[in-house]
Amino acid sequence: MNRFLVRLYPAAWRERYGEEFVALLEERPVGPFDVADVVLGALDARLRLRRQAVEAATLKGATTMSLRIGGFAAILGASIMTTALVVGTGLVSVDVDPVFALGVMVVGSILLLVALAGLSAFQARSHRRLAWAAFAVPAFGAMAMIVGIGGMGVENGPFWYVWFVGLLTFFVGSGFFALATYRTAVLSRRATLLLGVGSILPFGSGLMAMMEFAPAFQEAVLVFALAAFALGWAALGLEAIRLDRASPAPRPA
Amino acid sequence: MKSTIPEFGRFAEPTLLILVSLSDGPKHGYAMMQDIEQGTGRPMGAGTLYAALARLEERGLIEPLPPVDRRRPYRLTAVGATNLAEQLRGLSDFAQMGLRQLGESQP
Repeated sequence: MNRFLVRLYPAAWRERYGEEFVALLEERPVGPFDVADVVLGALDARLRLRRQAVEAATLKGATTMSLRIGGFAAILGASIMTTALVVGTGLVSVDVDPVFALGVMVVGSILLLVALAGLSAFQARSHRRLAWAAFAVPAFGAMAMIVGIGGMGVENGPFWYVWFVGLLTFFVGSGFFALATYRTAVLSRRATLLLGVGSILPFGSGLMAMMEFAPAFQEAVLVFALAAFALGWAALGLEAIRLDRASPAPRPA
Repeated sequence: MKSTIPEFGRFAEPTLLILVSLSDGPKHGYAMMQDIEQGTGRPMGAGTLYAALARLEERGLIEPLPPVDRRRPYRLTAVGATNLAEQLRGLSDFAQMGLRQLGESQP
């Protein structure tokens, strides 16, 4: 994987920094945050070399991967995803084109993927597999959701299930992320617990709906689950932004 | 007086953190990342680190040393040390101004 990541950089860059860069990547477990950071770094190197070729001095538009990106993505993604779910599950009756609502949900899911990458820098060091699972499962799910939405335009039945499985992966991924974050204790454990509850309860609510067990209670569980999911992500996002805005100056010894 | 601090755009913060990390002696990439993480409590990814290192090296503020077991240490150049001191003095003046305005300056 490390060799693959280095190959994202231009040849001239690899020639100068390639060996030491691979050695650096080998020194600590690489998580989704690191991969996203390297992808942005490779993009920066390519744009920079191109700009240098036309005698540009500085690349001001370059982007660095940061907790802040993950924080904003978490708040925005969870808000969009939850709103779309509230409308989609009929908890609130709104006259919206269903395809538009599903499309909005895909945007929310992509933002949550950015959040999962952006906020997983610390967790991947000690819980590498869990951090990767938290990203990979919903990444697969996002693709399933896109395929499902595309397919629903042709034939609703089977593709609805594809979309639905894709949606469920976001709760599974959020649960893995909550577990890794709780174990690492890098962000608020209360917010992590809230996210964990919000990731598990939708399955309970779904099971009750399938068994047609106490519809009013099932709906209350779903409302609580979605609120916990949104608030958990939002609280973690806010904390990440706050952490990122903290003074960059080294702390005195 | 015209500032001699080079313009690093969005990499201003990572480059400053690297210069501070190298201020107590040469370090390779991993040691810099650990140093910065311990100092700020925030992670710096390998992509950001090397984007900033390349800019610093290009401006002559740091220089590479021969690699040791594939890991290449870097050290501050004299220009880099001067630039770092200038940046830190600027930050210190700014912080003192802020503290004065808050009425919290030390006697």
